[in-house]
Amino acid sequence: MVTQGNALAQQRAGADIPLHSWLLRVHQAARQSVYTGTFVVSSSAGMASARIWHVCEGEQQLERVETLSGTPRAIFRHNDQVVTFFPQSKIAVAEVRESLGLFPTLLKSTDSSIGDFYQLKALGNERIAGFDADVFHLLPKDQARYGYRVWNEKKTGLIIQLQTLDANNKVLEQATFSELQFGAVVNAAKLQRSGSTEGYRVIRPDLLKTTADAEGWMLPKPVDGFKPMGCYIRPAAAATAVDGNAQHTMQWVFSDGVATVSLFVEAFDARRHLREGTTDMGGATHTLTRRIGNWWATAVGEVPLPTLSAFALALERKK
Amino acid sequence: MEKMNSIPNERICDLVDGHEPDGTRAQALNALLSDRQAIHTWHVYHVIGDVLRSSELAPSKSDYAFLERLERRLENEPACRVSSEDSSPVHRISGVSSANAAVFRWKMVGGVASFALVSVLGVSLWSQTGLRGDAQLAVHNTAVQSTPTTLVATDTGAGTMLRDARLDELMAAHRQLGGHSALQVPAGFLRSAAHEGLAR
Repeated sequence: MVTQGNALAQQRAGADIPLHSWLLRVHQAARQSVYTGTFVVSSSAGMASARIWHVCEGEQQLERVETLSGTPRAIFRHNDQVVTFFPQSKIAVAEVRESLGLFPTLLKSTDSSIGDFYQLKALGNERIAGFDADVFHLLPKDQARYGYRVWNEKKTGLIIQLQTLDANNKVLEQATFSELQFGAVVNAAKLQRSGSTEGYRVIRPDLLKTTADAEGWMLPKPVDGFKPMGCYIRPAAAATAVDGNAQHTMQWVFSDGVATVSLFVEAFDARRHLREGTTDMGGATHTLTRRIGNWWATAVGEVPLPTLSAFALALERKK
Repeated sequence: MEKMNSIPNERICDLVDGHEPDGTRAQALNALLSDRQAIHTWHVYHVIGDVLRSSELAPSKSDYAFLERLERRLENEPACRVSSEDSSPVHRISGVSSANAAVFRWKMVGGVASFALVSVLGVSLWSQTGLRGDAQLAVHNTAVQSTPTTLVATDTGAGTMLRDARLDELMAAHRQLGGHSALQVPAGFLRSAAHEGLAR
């Protein structure tokens, strides 16, 4: 891997880089590195920061993230098992984020088409958080997705800074390590114990796997490059149920390998669903709502608004 | 003691109702027009007649006072951060003359509805692009009702912004399952983890 990494790093600025091998290196670096650091996400929506401890033993990934801004929370991850602790309310939310384990499969599949929609260019070298980094530009080949500027730590390939860019290369959002230590001594057993839910009320959000077809929905005109990755049913939270009648929400997830779009569909409620259109919440994630007969669709994703609009307009109720 | 009219109220009433005989009508009108109190009584009788025939012609002083207070409050509302396109639903709808436009109580409802709509648009920092015209009408219709949409305050550093809690929920749900990205680990997952702090 190091050899491959060196080969990638030696590319001159502006050169096209083999995207597939770069993506694999990025992914392996995240899985095989041991590190602690402080991570900062900033956009026009505001700034959030978190402290992270990451260790790995073979295929086992252990991670603890403590937020340094907003509501105090600690997120413990063991592979795809994620538990979010809210120390103030003594509530722990336990979830399975199976998408966290899907990427290698996505990348290794023979019909992987990330290269059809993105290209990678070397931008040179920079120093970030005290580390030498190779800088790459992941350029979209069409207007349907955003571009990214990525800083890979030179030796490991770990992404230590990531910027989401609009069509004019304006930074919409930046995620970066402000401080990072590789190979720091992290007590794995202690980290494992930090995932204990003792003393917490554990909530397991019901998330049922389904298919859009079974729920009566279809997307006859797919959006270029985006493939369906899964479909789920989320029971409505009591607070959002209308007149006490809980309405389920369908979440249909699409990805082009880099960007992700969720299509949410729920029963239309004139009291809550006041307006169609877009909501600017800052950052790279956008939302767009549309009424479809007796239904209310919300598209959410880290993509330009016309892409969300294409999803929302293509969504059809099966006859 | 209240000053008596130079013309009896019964005759004013007859004049209003058209019952004064032709021969004495001119004299009665002259007597009326020369007496300020009689003119006031004449006006009051007309108003009473109008009210008996139709309530829509009888706005009260308290109604006017309410409207004035409403207008003053609307003037003092902070400017909405909506584009010229965004404000069109409000103007378009208020400019349409409906069948009951003359009925005062409907104007009152319309005023309150517009106020509610302006408030909703103002606090949400929504930038509406709107997909269809009928959706804009739906906004107006539903604004009259009490809306269970929950807005939550978020400190963005540049001031407090009010957000739709439901959209925050959906964004969090998207981040939970939306990790199908080559850049997700650690950047994507951490971005998601850190970002959830912004939304909550």
